[in-house]
Amino acid sequence: MSDKETPLKKQGESDGVWMTFRRDGDEGHCVIKGEWTVGGGAVRSASLEWSGILSSNLDLRAFRFSASEIESWDSSLIVFLDLCRRELADSGKGFDPAGLPAGILKLLGMCGSKRPKKIGSDFSLDAGIEFFETGLGRFRETILGLACFWAEWLSAFLLLFIGRSGMRLRDLIMACRTCGASALPIVTLISFLTGLTMAFVGSVQLEKFNAKIYIADLVSLAMVREMGALMVAIVMAGRTGAAFAAELGSMKLNEEIDSLRTFGISPMQFLVLPRTLGLLLMTPLLTLYADVVGILGGLTVGTQVMDFSVLHYYDQTQSALRGMWEVYSGLIKSLAFGLIIGLVGCYKGLGSGKDSASLGRAVTSSVVTSVTLIVVVDALFEITFSFLDLR
Amino acid sequence: MKEEEVKTYDFPVLRVENLDLAYADYQVLKDVTFEVADGTCLVVMGGSGCGKSTLLKALIGLLPPRKGNVLIRSDDLWSSEFEKRAEILRRFGVLFQGGALWSSMTLLENVMLPLETHTDLPESEVGQVAEYKLSLVGLAGFEQFYPSQLSGGMKKRAGLARAMALDPDILFFDEPSAGLDPLTSRKLDDLINELKESLGITFVVVSHDLSSIYEIADDSIFLDSNTKSLLERGDPAWLAENSVHEHVRSFMNRDSSTDQI
Repeated sequence: MSDKETPLKKQGESDGVWMTFRRDGDEGHCVIKGEWTVGGGAVRSASLEWSGILSSNLDLRAFRFSASEIESWDSSLIVFLDLCRRELADSGKGFDPAGLPAGILKLLGMCGSKRPKKIGSDFSLDAGIEFFETGLGRFRETILGLACFWAEWLSAFLLLFIGRSGMRLRDLIMACRTCGASALPIVTLISFLTGLTMAFVGSVQLEKFNAKIYIADLVSLAMVREMGALMVAIVMAGRTGAAFAAELGSMKLNEEIDSLRTFGISPMQFLVLPRTLGLLLMTPLLTLYADVVGILGGLTVGTQVMDFSVLHYYDQTQSALRGMWEVYSGLIKSLAFGLIIGLVGCYKGLGSGKDSASLGRAVTSSVVTSVTLIVVVDALFEITFSFLDLR
Repeated sequence: MKEEEVKTYDFPVLRVENLDLAYADYQVLKDVTFEVADGTCLVVMGGSGCGKSTLLKALIGLLPPRKGNVLIRSDDLWSSEFEKRAEILRRFGVLFQGGALWSSMTLLENVMLPLETHTDLPESEVGQVAEYKLSLVGLAGFEQFYPSQLSGGMKKRAGLARAMALDPDILFFDEPSAGLDPLTSRKLDDLINELKESLGITFVVVSHDLSSIYEIADDSIFLDSNTKSLLERGDPAWLAENSVHEHVRSFMNRDSSTDQI
């Protein structure tokens, strides 16, 4: 604003919404005014005003603040004044709050006592190397942690055979019930619909070759070889693996794991072993059940949509599954899947931090890791079977 | 503290020698040495973040020290082999801040588990002992309750019953009065005093609740976060009046005017 337009004002002086600024020799005088409320957005617009004042009065030595024209104020005024104080300190100018009311001065003194250093986000080579080293260290720790967990599980498993394990039979039975019997409804639904869907999809293709009866071969082989084990594993990962992670993570959060240790009770033997063994035993059984239910799904389509007789469909299925290896291979896979889900769920649960956010991360991570490992291990099994001419 | 004022005991139930504790590269405490006499209550005091809970973790076998020994009846907790270590662990009980009861078990099962694990008693006898321990802390009739059905004070008492399950020589308490109303806290203090007198149990209590400290402590140690060491030792009432450290006197008298935050 020029002197010509407002002859009473000197260069750099202003009369804004939030403050009036006057020059007084080598000092500036800010008179805060108006209604200062957090909800009113005072800090943002006042900061813009203040930036204009500061940039056009760089020659001044110090700035004096008073609040004689203020109507009301809350913490937004303190935040603004603290901002002014820091900006003035950064540019080597004085901040004089003597004209402010005692209450404001006291709050200003409290908020400015100790300020944490700003964490640098600027890139530097050292920071990059440190970041890389930290990442490498974490990766090493994770691998080491996994190896220790696996070794501890194996030793607990071996102790079971020589009768020195702290695992209770009732915990194993309870784990079997939770992992197995309680999962029957969801496994029934998923596997029946999987068989049904495969039959519908396959029938469209097979009809082109007038080979619709081979739908029984397609459904039965796909179920026992692949889909039964895979669908059960995915259901178990989302249902039981996540439950293990949540349960053990919550126990860690409440110091229940620590209290077990202080009684000389190994969490590995007492908590992890029954859960993983329960899953190891139940997953193949559920897979076998899922195979049967999936085939029944195919049978439903075959008899109700394609007009085959039950006996015809059954004979075709039986001829497709003449070699029991197809069934066994699915069961071998399911054993590996069960172990993976149990170990990952327990490992993630025991490894979660002592806050609720890390518990949530542990549960999510257990499901994602289990499903990823299941798909990878499934592929490895198929490659191995193929190389060994077992397909 | 002056040398002539240091208490020495003929048969310390717990002796801590030159203990250094750290989390990775961060040193928490260094060169901590003290001992606890039979049938007394030692309170570990100090401001927030001074390492009280960390020290407790090392004493109960949860955090290995970087250096030093934790001797329970002259047996070193941290250098003992598996069998010996399990035997040492049986000699003490721990009451965690929130009780840390196993949430999937009833109160009776919580108290029974240590007995089932470490004794050859038949199940009926284990049940009777567990019921007796629960009645000792005033929880008779609550045997079939789950931890989630109890109030904070009841959880702590149930935790105490579980900690006493194996008739330990020492009981470690982490902030017993945290989260309790003054009356419940006072009742817990009375219970500690009663158990100390009637059963001769030694207590090591981590606390910064002054009213509770004055009520239960026979002896105390004061940890300092600045020096990361044991700053002073003595009877709390004596420390409040005669400590050579202003910080200790300020803490003991709840006087913020002479102490820097």
